Amino acid sequence: MADSREPPPLFNDDDDSHKDDDNDDLFTSAVQSPVSELTTPEEPRRQEGLGDPLTSPSPAASPTPDPPSDSHAGNPTDLFESVGEPPVGGLSSVSLESPTGGEGTQQELPSDPDTTLVDAPCVESANMSSFDAPVEDAGTTGVTGSDDVVGTAESVDQSSPPANSTSDSVPATSEEVSLDDEVDDSALFNATSAPKLQLSQDVPEPPVPASSILPPMGAPLTPPVAPITPTVTPNLTPNVTPAAPAPVTPLPAVRQSPEELEAESGDEFIEIQVSDPQKIGEGMSSYMAYKVTTKTNITYFRKKNWSVTRRFSDFLGLHGKLVEKHLHSGRIIPPAPEKSAIGTTKIKLGSDKTAESGSQDFIEKRRASLERYMNRTGAHPTLRADPDFREFIELDAELPRATQTSALSSAGVLRLFNRVGETVNKMTFKMDESDQAEGQWFEEKTQQIESLDAQLRKLHLAMEGLVAYRRELAVSTASFAKSAAILSSVEEHSALSRALHQLAESTERTHTIHHAQADADFYYLSEITKDYIQLIGAVKDVFHERVKTFQTWQHAQSMLAKKREAKAKAELAGRMDKVQQAQEEVAEWEVKVERSQEEFDRISRAIKKEVDRFDVVRVKDFKDMLVKYLEALMTSQQQIIKVWETFMPEAKAIA
Amino acid sequence: MLEIARLDGMEEVLHSETNGTKSGRSDTVDLNDNSLQVDISDALSEREKVKFTVHTKTTLADYAKPEFSVVRQHEEFIWLHDRFEENEDYAGYIIPPPPPRPDFDASREKLQKLGEGEGSMTKEEFNKMKQELEAEYLATFKKTVAMHEVFLTRLAQHSVFRTDHNFKVFLEYEQDLSVRTKNKKEKVEGLFKSFNKSTDELLLAATQKDVDDYFEKEKGFLLEYHTAIKDTTTKADKMTQAHKSVADSYIKLSTGLSQLGTIEGPRLEKFINKVADTFEKARKVEGRVSSDEDLKLSDTLRYYVRDGSAAKDLLYRRLRCLANYEQANKNLDRARAKNKDVHAAELAQQNACEKFELITNKAKEELVDFKGRRVAAFRKNLIELAELELKHAKAQAQLLKNCLQALQEE
Repeated sequence: MADSREPPPLFNDDDDSHKDDDNDDLFTSAVQSPVSELTTPEEPRRQEGLGDPLTSPSPAASPTPDPPSDSHAGNPTDLFESVGEPPVGGLSSVSLESPTGGEGTQQELPSDPDTTLVDAPCVESANMSSFDAPVEDAGTTGVTGSDDVVGTAESVDQSSPPANSTSDSVPATSEEVSLDDEVDDSALFNATSAPKLQLSQDVPEPPVPASSILPPMGAPLTPPVAPITPTVTPNLTPNVTPAAPAPVTPLPAVRQSPEELEAESGDEFIEIQVSDPQKIGEGMSSYMAYKVTTKTNITYFRKKNWSVTRRFSDFLGLHGKLVEKHLHSGRIIPPAPEKSAIGTTKIKLGSDKTAESGSQDFIEKRRASLERYMNRTGAHPTLRADPDFREFIELDAELPRATQTSALSSAGVLRLFNRVGETVNKMTFKMDESDQAEGQWFEEKTQQIESLDAQLRKLHLAMEGLVAYRRELAVSTASFAKSAAILSSVEEHSALSRALHQLAESTERTHTIHHAQADADFYYLSEITKDYIQLIGAVKDVFHERVKTFQTWQHAQSMLAKKREAKAKAELAGRMDKVQQAQEEVAEWEVKVERSQEEFDRISRAIKKEVDRFDVVRVKDFKDMLVKYLEALMTSQQQIIKVWETFMPEAKAIA
Repeated sequence: MLEIARLDGMEEVLHSETNGTKSGRSDTVDLNDNSLQVDISDALSEREKVKFTVHTKTTLADYAKPEFSVVRQHEEFIWLHDRFEENEDYAGYIIPPPPPRPDFDASREKLQKLGEGEGSMTKEEFNKMKQELEAEYLATFKKTVAMHEVFLTRLAQHSVFRTDHNFKVFLEYEQDLSVRTKNKKEKVEGLFKSFNKSTDELLLAATQKDVDDYFEKEKGFLLEYHTAIKDTTTKADKMTQAHKSVADSYIKLSTGLSQLGTIEGPRLEKFINKVADTFEKARKVEGRVSSDEDLKLSDTLRYYVRDGSAAKDLLYRRLRCLANYEQANKNLDRARAKNKDVHAAELAQQNACEKFELITNKAKEELVDFKGRRVAAFRKNLIELAELELKHAKAQAQLLKNCLQALQEE
């Protein structure tokens, strides 16, 4: 049993950290509510779900923010879905259960907050004490059951990794999000989220990665997989119509042949432009739409040059989908720009599009970061081949409203990254890897990424300081120019007056130069560095993913040992009926061990490759960034030279 | 001329950079007349006090020796200025504005702030920031010295002022002039006086109709000018300060980058170190831009805020004379009507008239002089400003160009 004990401490660690960080009511209730909800029917499974090392409470918990979402304008849902919730699971469950049912659940939960809270300790104790027994049960039911519920569970499972990480951000974000105004979304969310709630509570089998189970379970699983598509189908209404089989394929396709896709072919290029931000609609229900223009020579795109229109939430939706599909296979997914409640609201409320320079700046900042995001994603050979990505840039129609307007707000993201970082550290430390060299590589990389993270944050702070001071310089130069102009008009000596006037004009021009330079400081230096801070968050996510896979494997091994022991016991006792069953279980876990080991090897390989690519791209990006910035600085200086050259004769003409 | 200014062991730095501070003072120097030459040969900062060594070289017979030095403090300069200002004989002149009080509070405050923030930066960053602050302190110090020197130089070059007895005492008397700082009573009096003066000024400005259009116009000009140039000075200060902040923020950028280079290792280290190095150099250039703008632009403006204010004072004195003169006229009329004390009134009226005419004539000259001085100073400093701006911008452009080239060769 010693073996089987291994996972729980890990989990507990994880769980502790959750508790530490997230005292938030929302989150706590999130963690606990499933318990009160589900106690009877799903008990063993739930416990396994929760107790399992791999599914830190979050997957089970994450759906629960949904209910409060009713009162919270649907935004926690929003957040949760964005990354955590697989369209797959959500939709499949919709097809299986009536959305109304889901809605019902939702209503109940918030009305029962006390229960939820009281139940809290139970979950934990249940996790720890009843770990062994239920797990076995769950294992059996979960895997053998060919009913729909299992199917759903599996599909959820695929997404549970992302859910894990996202749920952390739930408490942090929810407030901010609720400020966020996508009112029109909330209606949609509720409907769709409800089923998900149901679904995730079912999560019975998180430890087993879907992929490892998929093949053997082929038949029973198909139903959940097929419905994946609805996410992609336009007009995602509450009564989701499972349809559009096409996008289904990507998932397996990508999985089966990631390696081939990964191969970079040198002369392929894709260039994506995000332009023409446009405010659509009025008031709080308005949104920004952008023109996304793609130029490429990659053959699987139908054209070489085309444009589509996308709204901001679509970008977030795309990111969410990519994370769901690719994070668990160890890919570094470039993070999408953050949602900014304040900026967005300002734009929405601003009656005139051109009125405020503040929102103009905000829009431009966002446009630029969307463009960088798209190009970063497009530069990744696997991600750009993803059907969702292709649909995003190609489909000349409105995308289905992304139910997951990933409200990854800044605070949430930062917290998430910090937390994930800690967890990764903690966990990697415990990883007793069989492959020493590989383990060491990962440890070193993790270290390097950590120090890189810290340094980039420091550097970013310095850059922000520079931007602020340069802006101040531009502003103070402009006001000096104004004062000098007044002084020149007062000055009675005509030549001196002329010279002062010229001085005013010169400084006015210097102001423009400083201003442009401040923009360069911001867009060429500060923003890129910030992007990298977030990208490093994505790298940490990937590392975290590997740790989870490792744990799955370890867990499977310990389970196998247990099953074998049980079988031996049964044989000793001479209970042949039980031996038969135990034998089946042993075989089953043997398969699982093999699969999870394969999975672990695969993700390790993939991550190595990804991180190598990240290193190469980063170095190149930084070089480009610095060169571009130095060039901008030089241009500024050359302009300043011109300004003073023009001024010089006027100064000399004072007589 | 300013040779050495000792300051808490900063002599070396000072020596090397003494040249920068000579702004705005040679413009009033009449090079043809060397009969009285005054400069501050040394300055010593002792806690709150700054001691200036005033060095004089003269051919004037009044002085006992042809060359001598005395030690003076800021208060004694102010005392000297006040003596000039209250002397009726000089009512028609623009009295050179007194030097501003030595004020190092800003630098001290910044140094303290830096000390508090020491933990948040690396040692290298801290040292660089400290160096910057010390340099700033030094610059302020040198400027203070220069301002005091300009005051004396202007007096020494002035054909009337230089023969003033108090000035002679100031230059020659070897002991402390024992000018106390004003005590409370005197301070209140001074405040009251200046309050009286400004109300009187306001009253006169409002009620006294000037008989001379020229002065009416000059008065309008100076008032407007004073407001405008004061505002411009404030703005120029803000601008140079912001420029300094930009320069200082390059420190963190540069060290941050080179640390990043260390983490990134060989792939990026060399590249990034070149860039960090360039930022470090660019920082120095930007810092020079800021301090040169301060010297050539802000200081010129600042000086003419004070000189303009002195000119305004002259106009006030003249207007006061005019009011007195008109009052004397009225008194004479009344005396004649009553046929009493006519002679005394006549005398008073004559006096007032003479005084007014004298001051008017002198003031006209002085105002013309003021204008000439101002134009010359602006011309010189604006040209120098443009030259320095060009020099720095070119240096920086070249620096960046070299760096880009070096990076391309990588």
